[in-house]
Amino acid sequence: MISSRRRPTAMISRLGRQEGELIDRSRRLSFTFNGVEHRGFDGDTIVSALMAEGERIFSRSFKYHRPRSVLSATFHDPGCIVQVGDEPNVRAAHRRLRDGMAVEAQTGWPSLRYDVGAANQLVGRFIGAGFYYKTFIKPQRLWPTYEKVLQRFAAGGRVQASSPHGTYDKRYAHPDVLVAGGGPAGMAAALGAADAGANVILVEEEYELGGHLRFGGSEDLVALRELRDEVGAHAGIEVMTNSVVTGRYDDNWVAVLQRELPQVAERLVKARAKTLVVASGLIERPYVFEGNDLPGVMLSTAARRLVNLYAVKPGQQAVVFAANESGQAAAADLDRVGVEVLKVVDPASGGELVRALGRGQLEQVELGDGSIVDCDLLVTAVGWTAPTLLVNMAGDRPRYDERAARFVPGGALPDTVLATGGIVGDGPLQALVAHGRATGTAAAHRALGRADSIDIPELEPAPHPALFRARTHGIVDYSEDVYSKDLVAAAREGYDSVELLKRYTTATMGPSQGKLETINTVAVLAEATGRSIEETGTTVWRPPYAPISLGALAGRILEPVRYSPMQPWHDSHGAKPIVAGQWIRPEHYGDAAAEVRNVRENVGIIDVSPLGKLDLRGPDVSKLLNFVYVNKWSKLDVGSVRYGVMCGEDGVVIDDGVTGRLAADHYFMSTTSSGAQAVHEWVENWLQTSFPSWQVHVTSMVSAYASINIAGPRSRELLGRLVPDVDLSPESFSYMQVRTGTIAGVPGCHMWRIGFTGELSFEIHVPAGYGLYVWERLMSDGKDLGVGPFGLEAQRVMRLEKGHFIVGQDTDGVTQALSAGLDWLVKLDKEDFAGKPELVWQHERGDGMRLVGLQPSDTHLVPAEASQIVSPSGAIEGRITSSRFSPTIGRSICLGLVSARLAVAGTVVTVKLPDGRHVPATVMEHHAHFDPEGSRLRG
Amino acid sequence: MWRNFELEKSYDVVIIGAGVHGLATAYYLAANHGISKVAVVDKGYVGGGGSGRNTAILRSNYLTPEGVRFYDRSVQLYRTLAADLNFNVMFAPRGHLTLAHNDSSLRTMRWRAEVNKLQGVDSEVITPEEIKRLVPFMDVSDDTRYPIIGALYHPPGGIIRHDAVNWGYARAGDRLGVQIHQNTEVTGIRTEKGRVSGVSTNRGEIGAPIVLNCTAGWASLVSAMAGVKLPIITHPLQAAVTEPVKMFLDAVVVSGSLHVYVSQTDRGELVFGASTDPYASYSMRGSLEFTEELASHVLELMPSIAKMRVLRQWAGLCDITPDFSPIMGITEVEGFLVDVGWGTYGFKAGPAAAEAMAELVATGRTPQLIAAFDLARFAEGRLASERGAAAVGH
Repeated sequence: MISSRRRPTAMISRLGRQEGELIDRSRRLSFTFNGVEHRGFDGDTIVSALMAEGERIFSRSFKYHRPRSVLSATFHDPGCIVQVGDEPNVRAAHRRLRDGMAVEAQTGWPSLRYDVGAANQLVGRFIGAGFYYKTFIKPQRLWPTYEKVLQRFAAGGRVQASSPHGTYDKRYAHPDVLVAGGGPAGMAAALGAADAGANVILVEEEYELGGHLRFGGSEDLVALRELRDEVGAHAGIEVMTNSVVTGRYDDNWVAVLQRELPQVAERLVKARAKTLVVASGLIERPYVFEGNDLPGVMLSTAARRLVNLYAVKPGQQAVVFAANESGQAAAADLDRVGVEVLKVVDPASGGELVRALGRGQLEQVELGDGSIVDCDLLVTAVGWTAPTLLVNMAGDRPRYDERAARFVPGGALPDTVLATGGIVGDGPLQALVAHGRATGTAAAHRALGRADSIDIPELEPAPHPALFRARTHGIVDYSEDVYSKDLVAAAREGYDSVELLKRYTTATMGPSQGKLETINTVAVLAEATGRSIEETGTTVWRPPYAPISLGALAGRILEPVRYSPMQPWHDSHGAKPIVAGQWIRPEHYGDAAAEVRNVRENVGIIDVSPLGKLDLRGPDVSKLLNFVYVNKWSKLDVGSVRYGVMCGEDGVVIDDGVTGRLAADHYFMSTTSSGAQAVHEWVENWLQTSFPSWQVHVTSMVSAYASINIAGPRSRELLGRLVPDVDLSPESFSYMQVRTGTIAGVPGCHMWRIGFTGELSFEIHVPAGYGLYVWERLMSDGKDLGVGPFGLEAQRVMRLEKGHFIVGQDTDGVTQALSAGLDWLVKLDKEDFAGKPELVWQHERGDGMRLVGLQPSDTHLVPAEASQIVSPSGAIEGRITSSRFSPTIGRSICLGLVSARLAVAGTVVTVKLPDGRHVPATVMEHHAHFDPEGSRLRG
Repeated sequence: MWRNFELEKSYDVVIIGAGVHGLATAYYLAANHGISKVAVVDKGYVGGGGSGRNTAILRSNYLTPEGVRFYDRSVQLYRTLAADLNFNVMFAPRGHLTLAHNDSSLRTMRWRAEVNKLQGVDSEVITPEEIKRLVPFMDVSDDTRYPIIGALYHPPGGIIRHDAVNWGYARAGDRLGVQIHQNTEVTGIRTEKGRVSGVSTNRGEIGAPIVLNCTAGWASLVSAMAGVKLPIITHPLQAAVTEPVKMFLDAVVVSGSLHVYVSQTDRGELVFGASTDPYASYSMRGSLEFTEELASHVLELMPSIAKMRVLRQWAGLCDITPDFSPIMGITEVEGFLVDVGWGTYGFKAGPAAAEAMAELVATGRTPQLIAAFDLARFAEGRLASERGAAAVGH
């Protein structure tokens, strides 16, 4: 922390009370800037408070570290970006002062005033556009070193690893009409729409409504108060200030960023607006001339804002270059508050601005007649830019209006988007308000589906002299330190289209994203290539209109978590949780090996609720099964289940599971847990696109049933105690059959005789609401049988002992069904099924990998999964896909994919461990390391 | 830089698409094989498509030995590209981390590491503590929704200035006599008796015995002009960039589970990408949902950067093939070649693909490096899947 000191003396620039001032002089706030204590008023921006105390420099420029001050005095002011506490890149000409703020400049070392990096100015021309591409080439190995040096020049503030996430949220809104921009036309549009019965959201980027009226004269202020009072009193209008419409997406999905709300740093409002009115006004554009970035050179609207909104005197002696009324008004404002206006230069009467001179700040201005005027303030008013992002996002392309010397909307808007105010045209206040009202009314009628046609008065862009660059060269992009000379040089090199030029020079790519710079970039390029501005065209505005924090975009983090109904039991019985996709599941309850032994010797139960479960009904289910599975399904009896494997169209295994036939037209399919969603989509995709005539109704039952596998030699006895209405004896309920009955008094439970663990086992699907109850009954009623829970890890060990593969672990994105050892299952004589052509090819070629059981020679060495199987020359011959130590047979066991020629029982392969050791392992006859005949399973 | 020319009546080779693949192929034709009567035509500007819209990440930590060898060749070419082209493409091998949030992805990381090591490519699985050392902002605690349990660390991976690569090839090709024609849209491909004879453009007709389709986004539409059908579905892929902040993230970070990859440029901006949009489209518009999901996933990884702001978002187009691998080589139309179907990984493959395509054009023989990626494989059941690695991320 830098200790704060009180500034010894300050050149106070605070004016007396101004009619439209926003500051509350009764409320003093204190804050620090680079560790030095300052004071301001409530209502000040950071910059206005600092300027009132005589500060002029707020940042150093990106490349040349030139001192920068106020240019536009708006959110988009490129020289006024600071760090506030742990928040980087705060727009200090916009952000309201708060008591206790710790403000720091983001650039400049050791200080803003004496910046070592400013030495870059001495080598200035070397760092022109494209400099980096042409230097530091050789030796190549040194680039990372140069890079580290260049990175120090990175603009922007700091983030801190210790920063808290902060609080952000989101809101959905459904306004009939959303008005983007709260200037006079926007306010009038909101009123027009609300009066017509629409509910309206009015969004304004600044802290208060009014736009340019706020810094106008008495008449403007009277009009502003009337409009604002009317808006405030209208129940149909919700006003959002210090908020910005960041984008307009398809079907008027409008993103609004609200800033600095109580308790919420930022909020993203997502509004489905029936109609959108774009009233984004005009942005004053800078003039390109030598010295145009010196502190003391600013836009006419900046001078007017400082004087009228914040009562700050921006200089003592001024020259005003005024090509329009805004310049004249600025001159009048300055004169009124005691700034000595030495000269008002009007280009219409031949006046010319040549350059600004000064060391670190403006000292002199050179004019076209050769005269040099000593001054500390130069105000320019050379024209406007229409921020057309929102209309562009609605499909409109900007058109250059040569008479008005600016790009305007091209006129290709959908019915649901209208525009009003400065973006459309110029006029006196009454004209803007009339256009706004009519546009708002029309927007409401369209939103409410009324046919009434509204007569919208004409609003045309006013003629304006085309002033982009003086006869000297200056800064075009302030954020990126790009000079007009750089653009000319780049155009000569061949970067002569605006998109290429932008990428090569980075002009328009900084924090203000071209709002101040694009038109001058285009104009300079046009001049350099001898084309017109119209021919040159402009770049595409890309969203967002203003930067939006990651926090606001993310909102509250709402990642869903899925738990089975038995989770409370797991939690209270020492289960170690494991993340399995969306699910949290028990990995084990303390000792996975003991869980394995208990299943092999007694009986265990595992929660398998995440299993994919699809209820399939209809006369054509067997056709569907025949198509999505590689094996045959036409002859499955009611009451039987069958194992099936699904392949993608490339023949690669995508899922496996069992499906049972509950009734003639009713099947129940289980899938892997991880594949539940994908299989549902896969099945629906076939039904909806290729076989729409098949009558199959598919319903996901994942959350409808809790699923439990009861495994072990005593599983029949345990389940039998709870099932009164199904005969569980092996004679009447044999392996691979399904029954529906009552478990512990819960009717409608499905019971399958299948087993992933290799033991006698029953998989039961119980209505989810009774899952926990049935689980607890199994535990309590089976106490004397030694029942215990087992988790995923024990299941993995037992299925590996049994040699059952797991899709996605023992197979991968290229493992076709025959590679997975499924030759016995794949029925190539079926008419068609997903993946058949590929599998026919694989069958004919007989190549690819083969899944095999493997046992390392060292019985206690468990090779890490993914260890590679290599040939003596080091070529890859396969890999270990699963490996564990088997507590049942007391040795290490594996499944692995190996080249077909190695997939012969007895072959000894070499496994390369991740630590580099090579160890031998033997290919086994079966995948199963334990009970390959399946006598336990079928018992 | 490069010059503008009038269209000539004919060229030895016409390459459609002035992205990295087209420009680099032209350059290697001239530089390696002395074939310089080459025209590269593009309906827009140099590098205006995927080559200028990708997130400029390079790596060779693929899953199959063929994939590893191919991308490793590309990384090798990129490594010396600045010197070769005399243009600084700013390749920064900052290291590349692919995060694992569950057992199965950790197993895949181990698999990739082991395959990479056997191919001589530097990759290793590292622990959360080691991740934290490389990326101090990463939340590696286990109380997050998707805890980070490890990562595949690939030190040679990194980022490059994509525009510079495009311009560098264009510039170097131009110096060797290649002509680059921007704003020259191909409207038809002429064939006679099963062999290509030239292309029609909005600026006139061009004759050529060899026409090479190096487009992305519209690859199937361009090939259809020659009557060649490609098994490609086009999806948008979105990206975004933040305002700059001082350097805090050296490595490239990828999370397949959270569908996000992020790196910090020398300018201080974070560049983000995600998986392709789930729908097929030729539209290059960004969506709000993309930035929302992206931000929430980035903040899952690095919760302390919530105050950073997204400055700009955009989209590019990705041509996805059934086996997530590109299509390179000859077609049934003699003289009409393709280098297409690059999905989300075309930029990082540019130099190696171009070098091989140039060799194919010059010698008439398909180099071994790309033999597995021919168009005929789809009809003959020889898929060249890199799905395991390519679909995971960047």
